[in-house]
Amino acid sequence: MFDKSTDSTPRERHYLDVAGVAKSFKGTAVMDQMHFRVAKGELVSLLGPSGCGKTTLLRIIAGLLDADTGNIVLDGRDVSSLPAHKRNISVVFQNYALFPHLTVAENVGFGLRARGMSTANVIEPVQEALALVRMDNFADRPVSALSGGQQQRVAVARALAVSPDLLLLDEPFSALDRKLRETMQIELKSLLRSRNITAIFVTHDQDEAMGVSDRIAVMNAGKIEQFADPSTLYARPASPFVMDFVGLSTRLAGRVTAQKDGIATVETTSGPLLAQCDFAAGTAVQIGVRPELITPTPSPEMNQITVQLDDVMTLGSKTVLHAAATSDTQFLCELSGIRNDFARGQTVTWGWNVEDTLIHAVPS
Amino acid sequence: MIARTNRIALLAVPGLVFLAVIYALPLALLLFKSIQSANGLTLASYVDFFADEFNRVVLWRTLRVALLTTLLALVIAYPTAFAMARAKGIWLTIFLIALVLPMSLGVIVKAFAWSILFRSNGFLNTTLQSLGITDEPVRMLFTETALIIGAANVFLPFMVLPIYAVIRQLHSSLPEAASSLGATPWFRFTRVTLPLTLPGVVAGSAFTFSLAISMYVIPSLIVGERQQTLSMLIARSFLYLRNESLGSTISAVLLVIAIFVVLFSSWLAGRLGARQ
Amino acid sequence: MTQTDRITIFCAWVIGIVCIIFLMLPIVITVITSFTSSAVYTLPPPEWSLRWYRSLETRSGLWDAVKLSLNLALISTALSMVLGTMAAIAVTRGDFRGKEAIATFTVSPLMMPGLVVGVALLQFFREIGLRDAYWSLLLAHVVITLPFVMRTLLASMSAFDFSLIDAARTLGLSYPRAIIKVLIPNLAPAYLTGGLFAFLASMDNYPISIFLTDARNKTLPIKMLQYLEEQPDPSLAAISSGLIMLAIIVLLVASRTVGLNRMIDT
Repeated sequence: MFDKSTDSTPRERHYLDVAGVAKSFKGTAVMDQMHFRVAKGELVSLLGPSGCGKTTLLRIIAGLLDADTGNIVLDGRDVSSLPAHKRNISVVFQNYALFPHLTVAENVGFGLRARGMSTANVIEPVQEALALVRMDNFADRPVSALSGGQQQRVAVARALAVSPDLLLLDEPFSALDRKLRETMQIELKSLLRSRNITAIFVTHDQDEAMGVSDRIAVMNAGKIEQFADPSTLYARPASPFVMDFVGLSTRLAGRVTAQKDGIATVETTSGPLLAQCDFAAGTAVQIGVRPELITPTPSPEMNQITVQLDDVMTLGSKTVLHAAATSDTQFLCELSGIRNDFARGQTVTWGWNVEDTLIHAVPS
Repeated sequence: MIARTNRIALLAVPGLVFLAVIYALPLALLLFKSIQSANGLTLASYVDFFADEFNRVVLWRTLRVALLTTLLALVIAYPTAFAMARAKGIWLTIFLIALVLPMSLGVIVKAFAWSILFRSNGFLNTTLQSLGITDEPVRMLFTETALIIGAANVFLPFMVLPIYAVIRQLHSSLPEAASSLGATPWFRFTRVTLPLTLPGVVAGSAFTFSLAISMYVIPSLIVGERQQTLSMLIARSFLYLRNESLGSTISAVLLVIAIFVVLFSSWLAGRLGARQ
Repeated sequence: MTQTDRITIFCAWVIGIVCIIFLMLPIVITVITSFTSSAVYTLPPPEWSLRWYRSLETRSGLWDAVKLSLNLALISTALSMVLGTMAAIAVTRGDFRGKEAIATFTVSPLMMPGLVVGVALLQFFREIGLRDAYWSLLLAHVVITLPFVMRTLLASMSAFDFSLIDAARTLGLSYPRAIIKVLIPNLAPAYLTGGLFAFLASMDNYPISIFLTDARNKTLPIKMLQYLEEQPDPSLAAISSGLIMLAIIVLLVASRTVGLNRMIDT
């Protein structure tokens, strides 16, 4: 699915280089020592909960917000001290920000006119841009007459018409309903790829990020916790936060009681479990495992826990078994298809391969 | 269904009838009487009015003062509205008080205050002299300039508020989008901010202009008899000269101008609104 | 943010502050002048004194004028509220041609020259034989106050969710009772604001009233200008300061109940 196999610390990622950026608001530091690099033609997402700083970072890159310190280098140019209108970085805003007093064509041509192109010369590039998003028949309409999806396409056309060095999109799909959202994500991704455009998406929706990006930067409280492609994030999350934010998991808190040759024994409220790691005895940890890797008919060498089911959710293509959760435990098991052999109240034993155990140290 | 809607429409009848009888009808009668004479309909009274040079001077002065007052108010109000839109907390409260309190006070209090301020021994003159800007009192009272400043002061809130309302509705993402697309601050102002705030400017200017052509108390107190405006002529005709037909004619002239301002500004507002 | 942006914002603030001073200047000067001991308007006052406030007690006709103005303002505003509520409901809920025109018509007196309306009313009342000054003034003041009430009511009512009325009716209230018990309380801020501006416009009105008064019925603005012609001493500043005090109190009440920001939203 992802045609570039990447590891999370690639070399040559210097098309966009954000280095050492810090920002405080009213004395509170929102971001400190932010480093972030994107390669040319890459589609990247900044993913995180509200308040994590992803929109702040986007606005700093766009030049709509001044960072306190740090540099931003784009395609070899240092744009850090350039005002937004000189950076050649286009933004698609969450509310699209289409100019209500201009027609669709005038909106799309705005950036070109701002750069001094005459009205006559603008016509052709505008038509091209509109054709890219299949809105060429709407050129003379007022923007108020457009639906949400149409407005979004015009906003994209407007941003691309100026041939930007970098395209930033702030939650561009959040105002659309679900079906439309999925269609637009596919369309946009294919459009950006076909023109080798470098783009950064900001989103809080994990599915959106996974569907659209080559790599995802998972952000929390002003820091990037992990910056990797979707499969790495899912299979090898770097922290409990990433594990919880990207995808679902069964998780338990515990403490390492023994460590031998890279296998730790962890004591949890559900009994002892094994995990592959180097943590020393006494370390407080969180154990996690992806629900689809759990089987209700475990073989003896697997990690095993016994749970009492409190809900069985039949979702058609999958069935999710749920057992009582507390603040630091959660029990989810995902089985394929419809399963009639499980019911609420049943006590079952779940198991999974030791190497599928995700383990992270936590502050005790 | 239809019966219900008609019943709701009937609710408007008392108010409409009242205004029609006590407001529209008298005005219509006034206009009618001004073209009426012993021999039928005639524009003779208007012709006589405009033939007199004194009247033309007064008319021109009224329009000129109203225009300059509107311009002065606009020049102050536009940046103020922007500052207000960015103001938060205590500063916003200060702006609001500074606007609403004068609006609540009424014309007489303020016109009177300006007549005090403009005196030869008044606050403005003494301040200018103590700052060394002038050596002797500058004659301010009874000048057209003083009138324009005083009128602009009284009408300023009515210019600021419509512009402020429009600026507040302007989502901040619009100028940001313009910048990110490559617009210089000037391009952004002329192509985005200005067109989108224009409806507020038109509304405020139309209101200020009509208030300024109709004003009576302010010119009475600041310039007095020396430089009359149309309103003062009307009052003089009725209250002192007892020449009612002249007064009616001048009233009709002023009314026609006022109606024209209303129609023109709503046409303009419609044109601007149609594009948005 | 560019340097240009910073400079323009700075200039806007400077002009804004100048504007605030400009607007408050007449008010401040009036209040200071009212406390002067001298009969002339020199500033700063040679001495502070309350003599002008005391002189108000004996000022002929002042309190009658105040009473008349208050009377006219309160009654005309109340009448306007009733007429205005009905008309506003008709315009926002009715579905008939010309409701836009009706809305514009009811607000139009604001843009008409007051003096001209006064003249027109003078001649009209004389034609129909209405000689009583008080009734003439009252009718005229309803014309003055109605537009203010209509303006705020139209704006608020357009934003009001009428399904609340439907809900009240399904709970057993008749349409008129639902209006009284649901619509009016919810529009209280609009009534307060519109009523306030209407009241103040009536208290302040000169151009229309001057043509309809007689020797016994003089409103406060007319009395004040009369004083100005007869005896232009700082007692006028004292009256003005009284009005300023009244305005401040009213605004404090309004800002606590409705909020200053909402007041100017209309």
